Amino acid sequence: MSSAQARPRPVWPARALARGESVLSNAFGGAANPFHHLGALAIYCLYIALVTGIYLFVFYSTNLEGAWRSVEAITHEQWIIGGVMRSLHRYSSDAAVLLLALHMLRELVRLRHTGARWFSWLTGMPLIWIVLIFGISGYWMVWDQLAAWVATASARLLDWLPIFSDPMGSSFVSNKTVSGRLFTLIGFIHLVGLPIILVLGIWFHLLRVRYPRIHPTRKLMLGSLAGLLVLSLVVPVTSHAPADLEAVPGVLAIDWFYLAVFPLQSLSSPGTIWLAGTGGTLLLAALPWILPRRRQPVAEVHLPDCTGCGFCAEDCPYGAIDMVPRTDGRNFELEARVNASLCVSCGICTGSCPSSSPFRQRTPLTTGIEMPHFTMDDFRNELDRARDSELTGDRILVFGCDHGVDVEKAEIGTAHSMVLPCVGLLPPPGIDYALRNSGYAGVAVAGCADCDCHHRLGERWTQERIERERQPGLRKRVPRERLFTFWAKPGQEKDLSLRLEAFSAGLDKASAPEAPRLAIRRTGT
Amino acid sequence: MKALALSGQGLTWAVLAALVGLFGQGPSFTPYEPGQALIKLSMAHLPERLEPCRQLSEAEREALPPTRRVEEVCGRERAPTRFELRLDGELLVAETVEPAGLSSGGRSYYLEYLPVDPGRYTVTVRLADTPRTTGFDLEREMNLDLNAGESALIEIGDDGVSLGGVETEESS
Repeated sequence: MSSAQARPRPVWPARALARGESVLSNAFGGAANPFHHLGALAIYCLYIALVTGIYLFVFYSTNLEGAWRSVEAITHEQWIIGGVMRSLHRYSSDAAVLLLALHMLRELVRLRHTGARWFSWLTGMPLIWIVLIFGISGYWMVWDQLAAWVATASARLLDWLPIFSDPMGSSFVSNKTVSGRLFTLIGFIHLVGLPIILVLGIWFHLLRVRYPRIHPTRKLMLGSLAGLLVLSLVVPVTSHAPADLEAVPGVLAIDWFYLAVFPLQSLSSPGTIWLAGTGGTLLLAALPWILPRRRQPVAEVHLPDCTGCGFCAEDCPYGAIDMVPRTDGRNFELEARVNASLCVSCGICTGSCPSSSPFRQRTPLTTGIEMPHFTMDDFRNELDRARDSELTGDRILVFGCDHGVDVEKAEIGTAHSMVLPCVGLLPPPGIDYALRNSGYAGVAVAGCADCDCHHRLGERWTQERIERERQPGLRKRVPRERLFTFWAKPGQEKDLSLRLEAFSAGLDKASAPEAPRLAIRRTGT
Repeated sequence: MKALALSGQGLTWAVLAALVGLFGQGPSFTPYEPGQALIKLSMAHLPERLEPCRQLSEAEREALPPTRRVEEVCGRERAPTRFELRLDGELLVAETVEPAGLSSGGRSYYLEYLPVDPGRYTVTVRLADTPRTTGFDLEREMNLDLNAGESALIEIGDDGVSLGGVETEESS
């Protein structure tokens, strides 16, 4: 079986990425795969930088004479703690840049930057600049030879812009021209201004994300902290010689995560850097609108079946549904209204609607909210066709999704598949119906890997509905031994086939689903 | 199986730490070739006005409100600063810098870092800060002795040209 309308499968780079990530899922488990939490891990690294930064600031001297000396004292005179805190501060900041880059690349490869997600993609762009400026300003504070060169090169970069009449670079031509107030200014920018701007930037970035994952799992937090801690002990961060603006900068150990722009400037010019930086940012920002994908139809509310319960608004991962006062005069307080610009056509709302029950005796079957390209009527018709063709019997029905493991490739002799836009579209009564009314021996639900749903919450909501932790829950009468869930990535079809075979073999011993009192046959209305 | 998974986790964090360690403190970069010296040429110079200030006539003063009866009026626009720097007679920099400001009424600013081989040089700075288009209004020659890794600062200010950063002797 196939779904009512052909929908695109993940493109080959996304499939290749999924195969690579599967290796990590084997090591960490799907829910703790670091690639499923890259954004949260980047934020966690910034937390580490914040905590260690507060520690460093306690001992830091914000003046020209004392800055380098105080950093040296923290590094060498506090036994091990000061040096480790400094190294952790640096390395966690570096790791944040690395994780941010991976996060962005991953979203791009999986085409999760388009459609309603444009807002998060666009608001992520300033974050790159904020984080880089944050890091660069931190390098000034050490006031060693590297800091002096960074200050000179930053000033050269800024002086290219027609914003200062008096060039900033003239403040760094000799030791006498550097103002002692510089460190008060840089301290304020690094310790107060940029952290506030960064928090605001992250807030904007997540503004349209429902239930954002800001914290990675405990396993990831401990693992990444341990990795950075070991690195801090093995390769502690040290300073260069004190800044001397009257000497020619020598060999500098560059932090390429933050300072790569300055060697590039040495090899080109400030104008080239600005052109590449702003041009690259604008190009990245415009990606959601370059070669846009064909939009699927958005969810539609069918008021005669909408009771205004609000489950769909609660479950929508994109906040695309608002509950508004009733307009049709029925005795309900609210009704659902879809914001078409935010809807990504995942169908999770259909799965959450209590009216989405194939047992309802009406033809065509309608529900409170559904996708025009995959209606509940399509869903029930497919199940009924399979039953009427006597294709069910001892067979398993496998529900898959557009973005997870390809269930059509994994079909075994005793399985049928139905591909949904997202497994979150599957209403729990649909499982019940497939077992009781269509006569399948078992039902398998195979969606995206744990914490990696393409639509963010489809897999989670489905699990919670099956476990009756979320409304609408799967009825108690459904024999759980005839239900099998498998959360995996594209490329894990072989695993799915093996697990399905085992599930199928075990069904013989499982209790039979309670037979319906009457065989439901619709004759139309 | 659990040991294998744990090893995989350890390896992942080791790769993250290795990447951070590898690019967090290196590879090294040398902004200037080893053994070079540096001349920093910094200018913040107020050039002459394009139009000289003009004394107001008695009649013009009478026409002004009593609180604004100044003796002379001056146009805001200033001349561009034209200058050149020669080392042992060889031209290193020749630039014309417009004054800052929307009305071109501010200083002319310029800053450049010039890597040079160490050694003794005769530095000549010539500068024109009046509306003239040929010749220079100011010329200064200095002796400069630069060792590897040292830098010299040539500053062109409002009062003329000065040399700092290394011990020098002036030739004129």
